[in-house]
Amino acid sequence: MRTFIGRHGRGVLGLIIAALVVVAAVAAPLLVAQDPLRSDFTVGLKPPGTPGHPLGTDQLGRDLLARVLYGARVALFIGLCCVLLTAVVGGLAGLVAGYYEGWLGAVVMRVADVQLSFPFILLALTINAIVGLGLRNIIVSLSVAGWVVYARVVRGEVLSVKEREFVHAARALGLGRARLLLRHILPNVAPSIVIVGSLQFAQFIVAEAAISFLGFGVQPPTPAWGSMLSESRDYLYVAWWLAAFPGAALAVTALGINLVGDWLRDVLDPKFRV
Amino acid sequence: MTRFTTLLTALAVLFGLAASAPAQDRARAKEVVVAFAAEPRTLLPNTIVDWTTNSQIEHIYDRLVDRDPKTYKPMPMLATGWKIVNDTTWEFALRQGVKFHNGEPFNAQSVKATMDYIKDPANKTHYLPRWSQVKEIQIVNDYTVRFITEKPWPGLLDRISESTDFLPMPPRALKDQGPQALLAKPVGTGPFKFVQWVRDERLVLERNPDYWQGAPELNRVTFRYIPEFSARLSALLAGEIDIMKDVPPHAVEMVDRSGKGKVRATVSSRINYLALVNLKPGPLQDVRVRKAIGHSVNVDELIQQVLKGRASKMCGPLSPLNVDYTPGIECLKHDLSRAQALFKEAGVDPTKLQLTLDTPSGRYPLDKDISLAIAAQLQRVGIKTNVVVNEWGTHLDKIKNRTTGDMFYLGWGPALSAQNTIEQLFQASQTYSSYGGNKVIDAKIAQAVTIVDPKKRLEAWADLQRVVQDEAPWVFLWQQHDLYGVASWVEWNPRADEKVWMYEAKLAR
Amino acid sequence: MPRPSASIHELTWAAVAPTAPAAWNTITAELANPTSTVTKPAVTADTDRSRAKDTRPLYSTGHARRRAWAGIGYTPGVRAYLLSRLGQTVLVVFLSLTAVFFLMRLGGDPVLLFLPMDIQAKDLTEFRQRLGFNDPVAVQYGRFIGRAIGGDFGESLRYKQDALGLVLERLPATLYLAVAALGLTFLVAVPVGVLSAVRRGSLFDFFGMGAAVLGQAVPGFWLGLMLIYLFSVKLGWLPTGGTGSARHFVMPCVVLASFYAARMARLTRSSVLDTLNEEFVLTARAKGLAEWVVIAKHALKNSAIPIVTLAGLDTGQLLGGAVITETIFAWPGLGRLTVQALLNRDFPVVLAAVFIFSVTYTLINLVVDLLYGWLDPRTRARAHA
Repeated sequence: MRTFIGRHGRGVLGLIIAALVVVAAVAAPLLVAQDPLRSDFTVGLKPPGTPGHPLGTDQLGRDLLARVLYGARVALFIGLCCVLLTAVVGGLAGLVAGYYEGWLGAVVMRVADVQLSFPFILLALTINAIVGLGLRNIIVSLSVAGWVVYARVVRGEVLSVKEREFVHAARALGLGRARLLLRHILPNVAPSIVIVGSLQFAQFIVAEAAISFLGFGVQPPTPAWGSMLSESRDYLYVAWWLAAFPGAALAVTALGINLVGDWLRDVLDPKFRV
Repeated sequence: MTRFTTLLTALAVLFGLAASAPAQDRARAKEVVVAFAAEPRTLLPNTIVDWTTNSQIEHIYDRLVDRDPKTYKPMPMLATGWKIVNDTTWEFALRQGVKFHNGEPFNAQSVKATMDYIKDPANKTHYLPRWSQVKEIQIVNDYTVRFITEKPWPGLLDRISESTDFLPMPPRALKDQGPQALLAKPVGTGPFKFVQWVRDERLVLERNPDYWQGAPELNRVTFRYIPEFSARLSALLAGEIDIMKDVPPHAVEMVDRSGKGKVRATVSSRINYLALVNLKPGPLQDVRVRKAIGHSVNVDELIQQVLKGRASKMCGPLSPLNVDYTPGIECLKHDLSRAQALFKEAGVDPTKLQLTLDTPSGRYPLDKDISLAIAAQLQRVGIKTNVVVNEWGTHLDKIKNRTTGDMFYLGWGPALSAQNTIEQLFQASQTYSSYGGNKVIDAKIAQAVTIVDPKKRLEAWADLQRVVQDEAPWVFLWQQHDLYGVASWVEWNPRADEKVWMYEAKLAR
Repeated sequence: MPRPSASIHELTWAAVAPTAPAAWNTITAELANPTSTVTKPAVTADTDRSRAKDTRPLYSTGHARRRAWAGIGYTPGVRAYLLSRLGQTVLVVFLSLTAVFFLMRLGGDPVLLFLPMDIQAKDLTEFRQRLGFNDPVAVQYGRFIGRAIGGDFGESLRYKQDALGLVLERLPATLYLAVAALGLTFLVAVPVGVLSAVRRGSLFDFFGMGAAVLGQAVPGFWLGLMLIYLFSVKLGWLPTGGTGSARHFVMPCVVLASFYAARMARLTRSSVLDTLNEEFVLTARAKGLAEWVVIAKHALKNSAIPIVTLAGLDTGQLLGGAVITETIFAWPGLGRLTVQALLNRDFPVVLAAVFIFSVTYTLINLVVDLLYGWLDPRTRARAHA
């Protein structure tokens, strides 16, 4: 039992948290009666415990509990979209760079290098400064800043898988390049992508908070934990709940997803298979 | 064991060293710390138009003509008197016995050298366009100068006293060492002398005992730069700074209760408004629709609920602080039935209307929240409003390129004269205007700016006020209130023209 | 389900750092380059970073001078390597500047932002003309590159001061903060990571890694504001921001380190875990060496490679990426200057900053790669296994 907890305890905890977040996101309308977008100035900045508003209200009188729950949707949406985009784009880039070495691979890696020399947050900011604010644009800028990881990992994987015997055998059998890539190399590379994705998921959600802090957050009135946190700065001394609850939600979600990712990696690591 | 204790002592010493002086020490030493969000963009006067920059420069350099802190009418400073000699000539009498910090005397040479500096394209000052109408400066004698203009410019006095549009610089230093030397070590006639500028950290000034108005009460003024608002507020509450600007309305009570300081408020000359764009085809080109929207927005509710009463409602384009203001304009009442009637008259169904509202965020008090609140209010008549939050630069870009939505939120100030308000904001040719194409208004403005006789000018602007208000180009909102957090030991009151001048600060008795 | 064939390092690595060691990339590029004078190791082109480049001299002639240089590791192979790295640096810097130059032009009109709001249209045009913004983009670009080669990035639009000078002025403050934060990171992360690895599965591991994950999950600005509230306003122990004494470093470093230390702890843990199962560790244990000797002397030095690389990358990120910390604590640093310049469309300053970032990034990569050569014992031990 102890070894089970030691080995899988974190993963189980992470899974439970992740499940809760998903439930909150999906079942938000069922869990809370208030509309997160409805503003009522007369009940602005009410503390938790006010009748009808268990977590209090924000400056425009919107219910905080509703906003936190609906915010889960936005968080998951951002995480999912970013991970999918970066995995697809980065994965493809990595596959291409790894398999077709030579100038194509070099070009991809040079581009990655150039992008990497620019600090992550500044890069995201530059992109947002051009394309504008909003949920869609945050996803774009985070994805553009984040595809490089996949490219590198996948490329590394492809380079090593390429030398394995079954690939040589398939080539000898006259298998075309594309088929080789898709049917033989990709499945071997997939687990890495999955693991990296699970760990990046939480990072993207937290990065949204950072971007919102700098002013490029999700457009109001859409509730998103990052922008809610950012707005709460102005009310830190008069309405602590505006920062506490979205912040806790963000931290717990990121924690849960990271735990799941860690566990996945531990489980899939060949070295520790007994 | 001894090594451990030595380590502890060393740490204690390190931590004890260079602590920021608590408020009581500062009060005793008569040093005040003012926190701004950004550092000055330059320490050269007459160069960059930027409130933060010039607020700090004004402690080192004086104006030629100031504004009275109560009436906001032009008041003598380095110039003791003025008169109009003829249509294109203004004459100024200069104060005698004033010295620059480096010993140079202030006289007509200084005024001429300053204008030369401004008009030299190599210096790339922002003030060049503002002074383009001045042909030259004539030195009549050591203490009398004449401004010769191309065309009659009765507004010259307003311009020269507007804010920091003309700060005399030392002529010999300018000539011998050039502007770069003045940038490194500013030399003016002001109440405080330059000590040190640590970039992006602090600017330290010390008292000028020979100041012509009498030495200031404070010994030292330090400006600190804290970009993050909540960090500034924390610094005030922790007693690290003494003055900060823009305390939001909901935090006022908390600051007052903290014991560290009080919030002092003033009605600002800066106005906030919701522009209803008529420069592109759309429902807002019909004045009835604009009036209907004006009737739909409940300005009183916005002021009460969102700003907690911290704003002064306006009914027309000019505020009472504007020197060309004439009272007597009637406000557009909040009247939903009247709004519906007007919509019907214009043939527009509000429930089918979809408008876009562009707003900045954090530039004006609660601008984003107000915009959202207005959208909610418009929802009550069925209008669906999409609020687009812009980063400040993008917001300005959109306005200039006329790519904003149907409405946008903006502020303007310090709006102390009609020419700088009405002329700039209601003509299609102006950069930040939301309204234009009205030939009547264009003609009246062109006429009004050339009138020399003050009484006739006032009448012309009063007429324009009414005409503009009738056109409902904006939902007229309010004059914002400037809320400053001021430490308990400092006696200082903010001004409506936004001048933050530590010469006026004293020790609280 | 197929197992990932990459070592655990690379996966943890890739995940906890949004970047990856440049060495992989360099090594394989080197090896792929037919004209490279670097000896290709006898093993296949595997990306296992333990198989670092073999820098043993190519020549074993009796040439005295070469031997002298070779004694300190500076051989024709290394020299060619350094030159090629220099070339790569120039290329990366050039590409970065070009990319940002054109990107910024897409962002909109810069002139409008730093001119007063009552500017007239014709004056606006005149300003644009004087600053050269009316010329076609290609001409502007040519002019920029021409001047940049000489070190002149132009005058800041906002401050009317030399752009590169402005950037360099801010660099020291950021460097001090970065070094201090990294120091704290190492101090906290490495012991925690090592202990977690050694006591894998224990309660310490559970809470240690839990804390690490939390450190990465809590947004920096939130932590910073909480700390200010507690330590400055309530307790009055620490200043709210600015520079001036050791006390001013405390909170910014803690906020920065919370993120980077978390990453590094996780990476250290997995890196040490990997190493602990290697043959030579088993050998050392079999030799009867004390456990801590095994860990400290043998395991740690070998797991150091990804840690060192991450540290190098973090330094690069810290230079420009500590924006949020610098903003909250009013730290007069480079990150804050760059963000302001970005928002104000102050092109010259942004380009000067990008220049500094690229140069620093590639320099740090070079240092890290050279360090690999020194941290090499595993390769030498297993060279032709």
